[in-house]
Formats: sequence, structure tokens, C-alpha cells
Amino acid sequence: MSLISKLKQSNYQIVMVTAVLVVILAFWKPHVLIEGVQRACLYAVIALPMALILGIVGIINLAHGAYMMLGAYFAYWLNVYTGMDPLLAILPALAAFFLIGIASYRAIIKHVLGTPELNQLLLTFGLAMVLEQLANLMWTSRPIKLPLQYVSSSATIGSFTFGTYEFVYVGAAILMLVGLQLFLKRTDLGQAAMAVGQNPRGARLVGIHVDRTYLLIFSLSIALIGALGAIFMTRHSIFPLVGGAFTMKSFCLIAMAGIGNLMGILWCSLILGLAENFVLSFRGYAGWADILFFALIVGVIIVRSRQRQVK
Amino acid sequence: MAILRTEKLARHFGGLVALSGVSMEFRENEILGIIGPNGAGKTTFINVIAGIYLPTEGKIFFEGRDVSEMPAHRKCRLGIGRTFQLVRPLPGLSLVENVMVGSLFGKGLAKKEARRKAEELCGFLGLADLSRDISRMTALEIKKMEIARALAAQPKLLFLDEVMAGLNSDETQEMINTVRKIHKQGIAIGIVEHIMRVIRELTDRCVVLDWGEVIAEGPYEKVSADPMVIKAYLGEEA
Amino acid sequence: MRNSRYLLYLILFLILLTLPLYTGVYFLNVMDIILIYMALALSWDMLLRSGQISFGMAGLFGVGGYAAALLHLHTGMNPIVSIALGGGVAGALAWIIGSAVLQLRGMYFAIVTLALAEIFRVIVRNLPDLTGGPEGTVLPSAIFAGDSTRTYFLVLSVAVASVLASEIFQRTRIHFALTSIRNDEIVAKSSGIDVFKYLVFIFVVTSAIQGVVGGAYAHIYGFVSPEGSFSVDFTLLPIAMALLGGMHSTWGPVVGAVVLGVVSEFLKLQIPYGHLMVYGLIIVVAILFFPQGIVGTLGQKMKKTGSQ
Repeated sequence: MSLISKLKQSNYQIVMVTAVLVVILAFWKPHVLIEGVQRACLYAVIALPMALILGIVGIINLAHGAYMMLGAYFAYWLNVYTGMDPLLAILPALAAFFLIGIASYRAIIKHVLGTPELNQLLLTFGLAMVLEQLANLMWTSRPIKLPLQYVSSSATIGSFTFGTYEFVYVGAAILMLVGLQLFLKRTDLGQAAMAVGQNPRGARLVGIHVDRTYLLIFSLSIALIGALGAIFMTRHSIFPLVGGAFTMKSFCLIAMAGIGNLMGILWCSLILGLAENFVLSFRGYAGWADILFFALIVGVIIVRSRQRQVK
Repeated sequence: MAILRTEKLARHFGGLVALSGVSMEFRENEILGIIGPNGAGKTTFINVIAGIYLPTEGKIFFEGRDVSEMPAHRKCRLGIGRTFQLVRPLPGLSLVENVMVGSLFGKGLAKKEARRKAEELCGFLGLADLSRDISRMTALEIKKMEIARALAAQPKLLFLDEVMAGLNSDETQEMINTVRKIHKQGIAIGIVEHIMRVIRELTDRCVVLDWGEVIAEGPYEKVSADPMVIKAYLGEEA
Repeated sequence: MRNSRYLLYLILFLILLTLPLYTGVYFLNVMDIILIYMALALSWDMLLRSGQISFGMAGLFGVGGYAAALLHLHTGMNPIVSIALGGGVAGALAWIIGSAVLQLRGMYFAIVTLALAEIFRVIVRNLPDLTGGPEGTVLPSAIFAGDSTRTYFLVLSVAVASVLASEIFQRTRIHFALTSIRNDEIVAKSSGIDVFKYLVFIFVVTSAIQGVVGGAYAHIYGFVSPEGSFSVDFTLLPIAMALLGGMHSTWGPVVGAVVLGVVSEFLKLQIPYGHLMVYGLIIVVAILFFPQGIVGTLGQKMKKTGSQ
């Protein structure tokens, strides 16, 4: 009982902090509020699949951002060869990356599942490097951007203008969060996944096919992140190392929210997104925005380790 | 004079109360039995005293000094030693090197001294072929090695957590003699056991835990006849 | 038996010492690179022995480089002293970060270190007056005016110092502490080891080594920049080398550095874009199939034949 109330309490604190931030910004810098929310949803939607793998399969995937990058290049390649709009490429990306996920799991990930965390970290790091260099090999490190018209759509309220295309991230985040909650709570596979995530041995004992569950969840996550890459491609220029920052920020968000806390990731993304855009709004200090996630994760670690003192 | 004293010691894990209000005393140079049914909190008790867990409530006094919040490594150096219920040998180190960990860091000896002390202790406990890898040792030998490792830090108070588990009758007798040998060196011993023969033969006094509380205390004869203890827990006769 | 091994070491050392007498500039430059990566690989392995992974080598390497370059540039101090101070700065940063983060180990620590290179890069880019911003800073001259023999001796001494440090970690009580902490923290703690203090200490020492190496590199090439000094090469290659050669040993990273250092010279020419993929593959293959590396696997094979 008290575990649940503690969780609710920590979510409650996060929600309060974000609510206060939102209100302040709405009056002071509405620009920051809107762009911050958009950016936050981008972070959330990238972090959620990683949280799924970490919570259920129990492995930290340092190659997460690299898969997203490959999804982006996949959409680019489709566009170059078939003229397909990257947003439409979401569907083939989902399929292609589901298969890539299966292949990755069978060939590589499966073998380190029981092994020490060290091995998993090193393996996925190596994998990330391989994927990044693969992209480097095929497309060089020159940044690539597609000249799409609709991404520059904007709206004006009162005296300020903001981009409206980026709300696609907000839509994606809501969709993914709702979709994942429904999946985990209402479907057989989702329930099996939650059981496996909490207690793999127990799950096996009641007849759940643990390995197949891992396979499906991992592949689902890779499919989602590949499709996200396609969406990402529309708005940003891509290069082989583009995924790295997102891997780190995703982990930061998961650490802040706590493993298994999917809703919390959304709130923490809001904090990160708003904070980054806030810093970005000050001309002279814009470059420092990329340090924020680091300060956040170090802060989280310090706070967590204080709590854990009551070991 | 009490070498160790706890005052209303409590340890909670979220909703689970593992220890609640344990107040007891460890007299100088005694062999104290800590008994109770499975899940009574015996190992948790050792873990809290040894500093692996912080107490949720209550205090611990060692030689008169409040050590409630002291971290485990400092308690070891202060003179509180323990073995583990499920043995934990260190892979990658040989038998004698495992024991040396205790003398190097618990006692702070220089490497040569530490090795000499470790070899001495192995001899004291009847362990031979010291450069063996730990994967080539029997269960009894590993238990002895753990005791040697704990002794290498020169404890004043040593907790033995179910050290007789899984031993046959001869081995149990050998271990009983070993414990007596250790006690003769002036070390107070806290012994957690399920085997009543061992408790009866070795201990001066017992403390009985059930559901994290002390339900009885006194010499074995008195405690084993206590109806509350009998109700909570029927021990094995070995 | 011991004596013949020491004789071997002595002969190797003498060969290395006299290399400039019979080899040319190109060879010495390749040796420089091998020795630099060797020092990095050794320092990575030294931390690994405690059970912690650092992905932050590029970050600390770059910090050392920038510190050494900027100190020399702005205060005119002797380049060698600035290199030593570069190590000091890296060590100090490691002390601050380690003290904050090493209470939670494992993946939390590893990912914080992964972020280090990026963070330092951002800091450097945003202080253009001090650091020269995104274009970096060029030093008035390379150390020793580019004399390849003296440069080689500088790098050799750094590498030898790393080997010595690694051996100290293997042969003194530190080895016991590292092995205990890595395998079973609870036993370590119960035996009197202050785990947190040891981990911070090791992180500081290995980071200082990385800073010194970075400082040397900066002075040898006479140039620091956000992209160049914090390049992922400096994290990726040492890890691949240590894994290939065999972790938890001195010889492993040494052998790995020599092998991969030579290989990288060829690869850079054959596959200019993406040759780093090979190192990633080596890491993946090593973790999956050869966690012991070359040295470890050979060592095990020798033990087997020995007992027959």
C-alpha cells in the first residue's frame, strides 16, 4: 500500500513542479511554453520505447538513438528512391524495423540477457557504434535535410508566431502514451509483458513464454523508434551521430521518472523541454541548453543516493 | 559489561517490518545464541548490526559507543565481524587471498603481514593447500574460509550466521570445536542456528526472535522450556 | 622462471627505448598513436577492474588537452608542466563528478560518463574567448618544435607510467580491493573496504591519466578543437583494444593496443568513412564470444595444457 502511495506522491511532486513552470511561462514567455511542450513531447516519445525495453526486458539499450537515426535515414532513402513522403514512410518503417528488432534480438541482445549489466552496456555501446558507422559509410557524415514545405507551417497569436508542425510530436506522444497504457493493461501480450517485467521466473512458472515476450517487446520498441526516426527526418537535419544525444536524454528522463513509471516520463520530459527552451530564449546563453539534461541527471542521482542511504 | 547493546532496534522494508523494537545485550566474551523460526529476522538483525542496513529506528551501542549509523566498513574495523548464511566466496582470488581481504582491510596490515596472518588463520581452522582456487573447495572448507576471512579482521564480536547448515554429524562436531577455539581467543560470538544441539552445547545464553521481536531470553534450558518459544518454533535435534 | 620474464620485459623496454635509432619518422608517429591509445586502454581497464565502466575517456582526454593547451597559451608555462596540470584538471573534475555520481553505480555512472564528452564539448564551444570556440585553438608551435624523437620519448614515458600504474593496481592491496568490490560489494564492505572512497580514487587516478594523455596529444599536434579533442575515437578504440586483448590485466590492453593500432593504420586508408565500424564490431564480437580477449583465452589454454 505505502509503495503505491509513495509512487503517487513522487508523481504528484513532479506534476506540481511542471504545473508551476507552465503557469509562469504562459505569462512571461509564451514562446518558450509552446516550443517547450513540443520539444518535450519529442523527448517523451523517444524515451518511452526505451523505458519499455528497460522495464520489461531489463536491458539498457545504448543503441536506442542509433536505431532512431537509422529510421530517419530509412525514410530519407525511401524518399530518394520512391519519392515517398517521410510521414507516409512511418508504415514501412514500422514493418522494417520490427524485423530489424527481431534480428537484433535473436542475433545479439538475447545472448546478454542473463549476464552482468557491464556486458549489456558494452555490447549495446558497441552496437551503437556499429550502427552509427554504418550510416557514416553509406551516407557520410554530411548532415542531410529534406526540403518539405509543410514543416514550416506556423500560426500567429497576438504578437508572436510559433511553428505548428511540431505539434505532430505532441500528437505522437499522446498517441504513444495512451497506446502503451492500453496495450499493457488490456491485451494479453501486454499483461504477459508486465508480468515478465516484474518477475521473469514467476512468469515462466505460470506458463508465459518469456523469451517470446522479450522478443516481441524489443521488436515493438525498435519498430516504434524506427518510425519515430521517419517523423524526425521531416523536421530536422540528420547525420550519423544525431541519435546519441537522444539516447542520453532518454535515459535521463527514465532515471528521473523511475523505471516503470511511464506517465512520469511525460512530466519529466516537460520539465526538460521547458527548461531547455527557457535557456534557449536568452540570446547570449542559448548554447548552454544542452547541458541541462546533465545537470538534471546528476541532481537525480544525488537525490536518489541520499534516499538510498537508508539502505 | 555489555560489548554490544541494542535499544528498540527496528528495521522496515517498505511495508514489511523485519525487526521491531529489539532491545538486547551482548555480554563480554559470551557465546550468545540467536534463534527463532524462519523469517523471524535473525539475518536482518545481523545485517543491521553489521551496517549493511541502517536501522529504521532505535540504536546500537558497541563498547559503549553509538554506532547506529556507522557504515559497514567502519564497523568491521571497529571489531564487528560476520559470516554469511549463503556463503560468499570471492571468485578471482585463491583461498588464502580471500582470507587476506580481511587482514588487509579489516585490520589494515601490510601485504606480507596480511598474508602471514591469513596463512596462520587457515592453519588454525584446519585449511590446507592455500593457493587453491575457490572453485575447488568443499562446502565445509568454504565455510571455514569465510570464518577465517572474518577473523582476519580481528573482530571483538563475531556473528556466525547458520554456519552449521548442511554439515553432517562429524562436521558439525568439528565446527563446534572450532567455535570453542575461537571463543577461547577472547572473541564474543553470536551464533544463529536452527540446530538445537549446537545451541545447547555452545551457548551461554540465548535470545529468541519471532516476527522481528524478542520473545524470550536466557540460558538454553530455560528458553527451550518456555511455552511461547515452543509454540513459535520447534527446533531440530541434530 | 620469474627472472626470464623480467629479462623479457627489459629487452622489450630497451628495444622501445632505442627505436628512434633505427626507424624513421613515420614509424615513430605510428608508435605515438599506439602508445597514446595504449595508455587510454590501460586506464579504462583499471577502472573496469572495480566493476565500473566509464564511457567518458574522450571527455577527460579532451579536458586534459584543452587545459594543457590553454595553460601554455595564456601563461606561457612549460608544455610538460602544462601536460601534467592537464592531468590534474581532469582528475579534479573526476573527483567532483565521481563524488556526486558514484553512490549509484552501474548504468547510472556509465551513462553519466557517456555524456561527459558532449558536456565538455558544449562548455568549450560556449566560452569562445577562453577556448577559441567552435574552431578551436592552434598553439604557436608543437611541443619540441615537432621533433619526432623527443615527442616519441614523451609519449613513451606516459605509456610506461600507465603500465606501471596498471601493474601497481595488479600487485598491491589495490588488486584485492578491486576484485572484492567488483565481485561482491557486500563482502568488500563487511571486510573493511570503503567501497565509495576506493571507487572515487580509482576514477580520479584513471581520469588523470586520460587527461595527461590528452595534454600530450594536444601539444604534439599543436591544436585543440571541440570536434577533434573530444572525438568518440578516444572512447571507442581503447575499449575495443582492452576487450580484444583481454580485460582485467596489463598485458591485455597492451597487446590490444598494438594489434589494433597497427590495424587502424591500414583501415584508415582503405575505408576512410566508417572504418570505426570495425572497432564496434570487435566490441560486439568480444562480448558475445570472447569475454576474455586474446590474452585471457591464451592464458586459459595454457593453463589447460599445463595441467595435462
